Amino acid sequence: MNSFIALIVFYAFLGTAIAIYARGARSQEEYFVGGRRISGIVSALTYASTTYSAFMMVGLVGLSYASGVGAAGFELMYLVGTLFLLSYYAPKVWKMGKEGGLVSPAELIGSRYGDITAKLSAIIALIALIPYTSIQLIGVALILEKNANLDFSIGVLIAAVLIALWAFIGGLRGVAWTDAIQGFLMLSAAILAVVWVSFKVDFSTISKLDGLLYVPNKIWTPKLFAALTIPWFFFALTNPQVFQRLFIPKDKTALRKMIIYFGLFGLIYTVLVTLLGLELKLMTLNGDFPSISYRDDVTPTLLTIMPPWLSLLIALSILAAAITTANSIILTLSSMISRDVVRERGILVGKLAVVVLTVFVALFALQKISYIVELAVLSSTILLCFLPLIIGIFHFERGGRITGVSTLLVGFIAAIALSYLKLSPLGIPASVVTFFLTFATFFVVASFEDRKVFN
Amino acid sequence: MRWLECLLVVLLMLVPFFAFRSEDLATYVYWVVVTAVFLVYTALDTKRWAYE
Repeated sequence: MNSFIALIVFYAFLGTAIAIYARGARSQEEYFVGGRRISGIVSALTYASTTYSAFMMVGLVGLSYASGVGAAGFELMYLVGTLFLLSYYAPKVWKMGKEGGLVSPAELIGSRYGDITAKLSAIIALIALIPYTSIQLIGVALILEKNANLDFSIGVLIAAVLIALWAFIGGLRGVAWTDAIQGFLMLSAAILAVVWVSFKVDFSTISKLDGLLYVPNKIWTPKLFAALTIPWFFFALTNPQVFQRLFIPKDKTALRKMIIYFGLFGLIYTVLVTLLGLELKLMTLNGDFPSISYRDDVTPTLLTIMPPWLSLLIALSILAAAITTANSIILTLSSMISRDVVRERGILVGKLAVVVLTVFVALFALQKISYIVELAVLSSTILLCFLPLIIGIFHFERGGRITGVSTLLVGFIAAIALSYLKLSPLGIPASVVTFFLTFATFFVVASFEDRKVFN
Repeated sequence: MRWLECLLVVLLMLVPFFAFRSEDLATYVYWVVVTAVFLVYTALDTKRWAYE
């Protein structure tokens, strides 16, 4: 048997065993937020594994290789924004979740802006996150195609089964525990990769990187930096799969540990991944590594020159990063269907939604549509429409149902239209325009609408 | 007050766009140090609500 297939089989058995051990949830609160009894360490690792997808070891390594230190600045700006938002909003959101019995992220929005806004939030999250989740499946299938000689469609099928199975059986607890182990795997593989590459790099020639060592340069202009960092800076509040994790820690001490350990994980992982990209670029300039023109090929090329055991471990860590992100999103979207769209009392529809959504995401991945990457990138801009509503809950006294619906619709339509028409009015990036349009809509409409408490 | 802290750290993260242009890892190290310091600050600051 191909050694990568053997590794995948072991990985699948281990994850399934953990999910079976975690099973037994009967209520929505148990199934979707682990009964709000998750420890700080596990909360931190599931938060990190959900946040950091295959983009890190593939996309960010390639981006650092191609564009230099600006890639590190972009990713660290995201981390700083997340730390700020979590340290300020996490205790408030956690308290509201506990006192109000909130399970899905849209419920928090609905508690202030009405059920119709919660439903619309769930639908927008589904539209925004399905292409993003499909990208994770495509990533897994490509790894399996390259390392295990499996057909692309078989790879998608394996990824879909792993994603649905652990979430279906174990709910949030199953996902969180498997995330925790995979988080260690992701970090360990990145450390080993950097150590292995570092022995082959001549750091005395670092100045050869030239314009890649500072910003602005030809690639990292202030405009590009703003376009990428604005949606990502607010990721902790706009992306439902991470926002829902604010409900899961067992107490405030566990919540604090979640924030700090996630920050530590994020800092170390970002440094390792971006350093790897810079080191490989230096090796290319010194003639020790092939010159790569398509940046997503940097990590796959690195795997071909590494010892087989290390190459397999890193491939598995990339696969784990994709699976952890995808199953967390699927479970969160299922909770939104169960709580906000169907409004069931049990977990039957929620569990069915895990299966149906995974099938849908897999079918989307199998289409291999050319614009799927653009759709996935667009997700962070679309989700910006949640931001004024969430911030408004804590800082703005006015606004209700009309404010909620109009803010979501304007943000959603602006993000789609600007992207589809490839417009950047006055040279301002689409994400920045969407950001200001959603806030402007929120403040204008809310100033005319009285607050109404729904729950 | 909290948003002023946020503005300050964002401005600190933007400093390399105006102040650094050296062909070494100064920009990279600067960003890592600012993030690490902010992480330590967050660890201390969150004690306020964690143990109240």
